[in-house]
Amino acid sequence: MSSVNGAVPTTIIVVGLALAGYALLMTALNRRVGFGLLAVLGVLEILLLVLVGIIVAKLVGGGRPAGLATLIGYLIAMPIVPVIAGLWGAMERSRWGPAVYAVAGLVAAVLMVRLHEIWPAIRV
Amino acid sequence: MRSGRPSVSEPETPPEPAAAPSEPAAARPESTRTGPGRLLVAVYGLFALSASARAVVQIATKFSHAPVAYLLSAFAGVVYIIATVTLTAGSPRARRIAVVSCSVEFAGVLAVGTWSLLDKATFPDATVWSGYGSGYGYVPLVLPVFGLLWLRYWSRRTASRPAIAPATGDAGESPADPADQNPHGNRSRSAR
Repeated sequence: MSSVNGAVPTTIIVVGLALAGYALLMTALNRRVGFGLLAVLGVLEILLLVLVGIIVAKLVGGGRPAGLATLIGYLIAMPIVPVIAGLWGAMERSRWGPAVYAVAGLVAAVLMVRLHEIWPAIRV
Repeated sequence: MRSGRPSVSEPETPPEPAAAPSEPAAARPESTRTGPGRLLVAVYGLFALSASARAVVQIATKFSHAPVAYLLSAFAGVVYIIATVTLTAGSPRARRIAVVSCSVEFAGVLAVGTWSLLDKATFPDATVWSGYGSGYGYVPLVLPVFGLLWLRYWSRRTASRPAIAPATGDAGESPADPADQNPHGNRSRSAR
């Protein structure tokens, strides 16, 4: 069980950083948002939703972090950020659309580290 | 998606399949929320969300622990919200408000950053601007600089060409076809 808990945040970090690198490459190549970036962002979104489910299950199972209010805020923000970033970046017709995707990937990776700080039960 | 590529050169297959999407990037951004502004608004929105949400949680749950830090977090959240909204709107009035809020933001980062280093007792818990934004990769320090540079670009551009300013209808304005709003100096988006 614990390996599963650690696997999802670690995968999110890897996918988030990969998305950031891929997106910055697209920005450097002067491309707009294409199918590839949308696909990676979709994978990231699914992983974040899975993690939200895992954390909610932990809370229902009786686990309580010190900063419960902050954790709930993260649970709400985590799946919303990639959706908004995805729409906002896809609206852009220039290289700056992929740059927004890069931010979304970096934020997902940073959120995993912060989640672990809030609640060490969430392993990275 | 437009697929027009410059019809003059390269009659054969372009070297890269995605040569077409790169072409509109050469066009000038048509508002403060497009082009580089797309990224700027995204980052401002992110900080608006994180700073204000953090302040709400801190003030609601443990205000007496570090009241100064939490009030400053809330102030930073408001400043970020104003910048996000005004940069998205982009009208001349919104841009004037944005210049003020970005200036306040920059002054706030410098003042609070210095204060937090000199007087650690007042800041037992961090704000967004503590240590010049070190907890956030110093993004809070550079963000207002890019914001002000972007706004300066717009004030200069509209000063020389007043017609371009997206002045009419702040809220309802929709970028239906940006090419129509940007007749000046726009390298043709589609092959005519």
